Amino acid sequence: MSRNDSKYFSTTKKGEIPELKEELNSQYKDKRKDAVKKVIAAMTVGKDVSSLFTDVVNCMQTENLELKKLVYLYLINYAKSQPDLAILAVNTFVKDSQDPNPLIRALAVRTMGCIRVDKITEYLCDPLQRCLKDDDPYVRKTAAICVAKLYDINAELVEDRGFLESLKDLISDNNPMVVANAVAALAEIQENNSRPIFEISSHTLSKLLTALNECTEWGQVFILDALSRYKAADAREAENIVERVTPRLQHANCAVVLSAVKMILLQMELITSTDVVRNLCKKMAPPLVTLLSAEPEIQYVALRNINLIVQRRPTILAHEIKVFFCKYNDPIYVKMEKLEIMIKLASDRNIDQVLLEFKEYATEVDVDFVRKAVRAIGRCAIKLERAAERCISVLLELIKIKVNYVVQEAIIVIKDIFRRYPNTYESIIATLCESLDTLDEPEAKASMIWIIGEYAERIDNADELLESFLESFPEEPAQVQLQLLTATVKLFLKKPTEGPQQMIQVVLNNATVETDNPDLRDRAYIYWRLLSTDPEAAKDVVLAEKPVITDDSNQLEPSLLDELLANIATLSSVYHKPPDVFVTRVLSSAQRTEDEDYVEGSETGFSDANPANGPASPPTGRQLAPASATGAPATPPSVAPLPDLLGDLMGMDNSIVPVDQPATPSGPPLHILLPASTGQGLQISAQLTRQDGQIFYSLLFENNSQVTLDGFMIQFNKNTFGLAAAGPLQVPQLQPGTSARTHLPMVTFQNMSQGPPSSLLQVAVKNNQQPVWYFNDKFSLHVFFTEDGRMERSSFLETWRSLPDSNEVSKDFPAIVIGSADATLERLAASNMFFIAKRKNANQDVFYFSSKLPKGVPFLIELTTVIGNPGVKCAIKSPSPEMSSLFFEAIETLLMG
Amino acid sequence: MISQFFVLSQRGDNIVFRDYRGEVQKGSAEIFFRKVKFWEDGDLQEAPPVFNVDGVNYFHVKVVGLLFVATTRVNVSPSLVLELLQRIARVIKDYLGILNEDSLRKNFVLVYELLDEVIDFGYVQTTSTEMLKAYVFNEPLVVDAARLSPLGPGSIFTQGTKRMPGIAVTKSVVATEPGGRRREEIFVDIIEKISITFSSSGYILTSEIDGTIQMKSYLSGNPEIRLALNEDLSIGRNVGAAYGYRSSSGSGTVVLDDCNFHESVRLDSFDIDRTLSLIPPDGEFPVMNYRMTQEFRPPFRINALIEEAGSLKTLHYIRVSFELEPGAVGQTTDFKEANKRLEWSLKKIVGGSEHTLRAKLTFAQESHVNVTKESGPVSVTFTIPMYNASRLQFSILSRCPVCTAVSITQLTLNVVKYLQIAKKSATHEPYRWVRYVTQANSYVARI
Repeated sequence: MSRNDSKYFSTTKKGEIPELKEELNSQYKDKRKDAVKKVIAAMTVGKDVSSLFTDVVNCMQTENLELKKLVYLYLINYAKSQPDLAILAVNTFVKDSQDPNPLIRALAVRTMGCIRVDKITEYLCDPLQRCLKDDDPYVRKTAAICVAKLYDINAELVEDRGFLESLKDLISDNNPMVVANAVAALAEIQENNSRPIFEISSHTLSKLLTALNECTEWGQVFILDALSRYKAADAREAENIVERVTPRLQHANCAVVLSAVKMILLQMELITSTDVVRNLCKKMAPPLVTLLSAEPEIQYVALRNINLIVQRRPTILAHEIKVFFCKYNDPIYVKMEKLEIMIKLASDRNIDQVLLEFKEYATEVDVDFVRKAVRAIGRCAIKLERAAERCISVLLELIKIKVNYVVQEAIIVIKDIFRRYPNTYESIIATLCESLDTLDEPEAKASMIWIIGEYAERIDNADELLESFLESFPEEPAQVQLQLLTATVKLFLKKPTEGPQQMIQVVLNNATVETDNPDLRDRAYIYWRLLSTDPEAAKDVVLAEKPVITDDSNQLEPSLLDELLANIATLSSVYHKPPDVFVTRVLSSAQRTEDEDYVEGSETGFSDANPANGPASPPTGRQLAPASATGAPATPPSVAPLPDLLGDLMGMDNSIVPVDQPATPSGPPLHILLPASTGQGLQISAQLTRQDGQIFYSLLFENNSQVTLDGFMIQFNKNTFGLAAAGPLQVPQLQPGTSARTHLPMVTFQNMSQGPPSSLLQVAVKNNQQPVWYFNDKFSLHVFFTEDGRMERSSFLETWRSLPDSNEVSKDFPAIVIGSADATLERLAASNMFFIAKRKNANQDVFYFSSKLPKGVPFLIELTTVIGNPGVKCAIKSPSPEMSSLFFEAIETLLMG
Repeated sequence: MISQFFVLSQRGDNIVFRDYRGEVQKGSAEIFFRKVKFWEDGDLQEAPPVFNVDGVNYFHVKVVGLLFVATTRVNVSPSLVLELLQRIARVIKDYLGILNEDSLRKNFVLVYELLDEVIDFGYVQTTSTEMLKAYVFNEPLVVDAARLSPLGPGSIFTQGTKRMPGIAVTKSVVATEPGGRRREEIFVDIIEKISITFSSSGYILTSEIDGTIQMKSYLSGNPEIRLALNEDLSIGRNVGAAYGYRSSSGSGTVVLDDCNFHESVRLDSFDIDRTLSLIPPDGEFPVMNYRMTQEFRPPFRINALIEEAGSLKTLHYIRVSFELEPGAVGQTTDFKEANKRLEWSLKKIVGGSEHTLRAKLTFAQESHVNVTKESGPVSVTFTIPMYNASRLQFSILSRCPVCTAVSITQLTLNVVKYLQIAKKSATHEPYRWVRYVTQANSYVARI
């Protein structure tokens, strides 16, 4: 017996494997056991010990359970990589499955199920059949799980051999562990199946509810979760179920408590008696609160769930708001969740207590927590009309502390409060303005500017305040620029005096001519046209009454909330997302391309997303402003007398609108590879190109030296595609100051280099007058794409499916913008990347292309992007995934245009 | 169900890695560690215990500096997984006596054997040390406890008391001791964690006690144990009282807001005479958890006062009054520049005494900030052995071979009434160790 297992980790000297091999074949039992331990140790630290497979398997035939388990552990790990050898173990497995010792029987079945090798699976069926009916409950419960394992490997086999029926029989087993595992296995099989397999009848229901009392805590969770799919027939049945489940709320295991809560909540929907419902709420509250005494990790899960529960049934915890007050030592993720719930539970009755807490939190150290606390005060103000004033006074107190981020956060929420209660609290604006200089965060600045613009008529020096921001207009973030633009327009409309007039000229000029931001530019043009065509309409639009905002603390949509509540006590309720958003187990990329909305490219009309390309009719303000509450009939734009400056601006109009016409490139520019400075006056530029199915090396020689150069020759080093010159280099004698251009035809697969693919092309050029010049060129993979690369849609799909997923490689190009689909497709087609189809995925467009390398190596390409927005994801599948890096280089160049 | 289970060291090294379903990539441990280490997402700067990366859900808990992690691709019950991770840690600790990187590495074969019995194909089978004993054959190799600084809840036994042998809680539940025979003993801790928030004027804003009766049994033959709690104990606070303020009903009664019990506990006579009966399984487990918001006398009161003396200097007074316990004082103070925190530690405190710290802080830069309003709360952490704020009783009536337990009961206000071990033919009376410990959870005075 060894005294210290960690010594197995320390064998690092050379020849480890042969040494282990020898020890594994030792005649001494203890030595063999030690050796297997060493192998397992090596395995866990990630060393490859698969070559010892035969030797380890030889140790399998032993009565020593400890050793047997070790060998099995090894087998599970390596059987997949050594399927032919794994078969050696089958005999022992089958023999073990009939061993008189139940532990060995169970171990055999458990291990066989973990070995996902077809040949072994075949032999699993008979032992499994026996074990499902074994006398020993430990064997039966292991066999129950094994059915789920087998279903995962070969579902058909499970159904053919009637294992599903055996599993259903086990639900009535007299051992609760067996019942629990049978339920778990059936639930998993059902999960991956659209056909009804595990239907819970009222009969099974009562059996399972009985088993619930005897099960282990974990079994209780399996059963409760399975039963949560059961739909009670009526209120009475629902009440019965709830009565049987309620005692589980008293369990020390949090998972049991939450699963019981889920079950009760679901049944409550059916219960009509308000007394019963009220009583249940009363019963659920203490256990829910007790979850907050558990470890912080569990608290987090509980809080995320409680967040959902109080949205549906606020009364449950209405009196418990104090337990959600943050503790000093709560982890930040717990504090943040508690804040959310405090906002949800805040009411006129407890708001004073709550505000006192928030105010305290706003002086803590953690900046993010402080910000959230300040925001929480604002959200309470918006939620509780009667408390709004108290909330504002707390915010003002906080502003007076003059901690920069607190002030900024407060201003952001006060803007929202103004929108919620217009014309109520403007008296505080003066206080806000005192902090104007300290604002340096975009959102706070934008909020302050909004406030100034909105209340320009009541702020005496509004124009001065805004003007102070204007100086730095070009440097401001987009958010601030947009607000400045709007606020200046508001100011101008409210006080059409000289100052604001000058300001608006500056702003409109900045926002149209000086900016690259299409949002800003568009908004500026709209204001501009409005102001120039119909200032009255402009007033109606810009100064329209805004819809009053509401509290967003119950922001989940009812349908989403329903779905999430049905998923209480699952991950879904922690993420607040429906399960299908994040569960990806069954989805593979091959299936993705089969989506129904897969449309032939030729049938798809692409809409050009670049608005600058087609300003066909200048839109009127009214069309663009559906928010305008006045609803006055659209009057034809009556051209009102305008200040001259606007007329001037109008005159500039057409000349300013930038026209984003993609310039057609006039042949590929050549790269300077040998600058004159290093080439003693000789400059060589070159690029590999493809024309009419032939690859050329385009070269430009410029002689800046004082001598005439002649006798040019060229040579290429070995390279990935074996590129070589198809003929001699034809360059005439070069007089000083002259240049010559040539197209050198190339052949491929002539002198291929070994090693990983590279886009490097090493070139040597000599002439009679100078030394040999060596330089490096980088080619783009697309020059090799052949003209016959177009694939039929069906063969594309077939090829995609036939290639293993491991051949799929993808890369993101966060900076690339595809402005126009048409132009891009054209450009790619010119490089022999052929468009196959397009589909929509949410707001993204997904394009499929095919291309071929010489010798018929296909590349299947998937591009995902939102037209007009930065970010392109490129996924490719091909038999030569090692080429992907070259491919990504090429596509990047192509997409950049 | 879960896909993988692994344990990572603080540096991110794989100590244990077990893949149960082969549906999550092998590099998940690295992906996880990088994500946790460099977490940044919205408001949070610390990874939440559950998150999703590329379709894989990661769960983690921190136990004595180690990361216990599980992965899955499906929509499982997160509380089940997190609870499971805690339990796995507890089972391993039961087996190894001490849970740390060293003991895990030394016993990796045993740990894998345990993991295979605890989880099959991602489904929890059992986390009961008692049940596992039937299926697990490797003997633990116990690491030397003396070398190790105490960690986790066990550490309370070695803190400032010679009454309890420190080795006891770091002893493996299954390993036989050097002498060959195991000592018959049972440990019961009543651990209460107090959370209190004092307002700046000294009023109690919120107060709460989270209690656990923790048991660790080394008794052979699984005797039945009966625990009697206060007879005047009542459960369920009168919710009708508006605002959640407690009605000051019956002065003597202990009112628990809520409590729950270990599954081995039978409550047949609980309603009649407040006794619990159980056959304690091997290993450490909570017999009962309870929560109380009934008013209680806080062990300390704290008064803090800030005086601004000129624009650069601030005087900071903290006065702490203690209403408990004899002892000696050894104090240190320190200003931690990194987290801008003034720390004052007192080694021991005499009951009924009052201590004052006057600290003068001088700021390097003049600031127009309101120091009083920017100063954070005063937070106190403490451990009081042998004090029980809730007055939950737990006393031992039967003859007790170790008199320390008796002296505890005398010191404490009152206690759980008795712990009775039904043992048919006992050559030795089992040793009973009962401890009351009160700790600060969040003990805060606002300024």
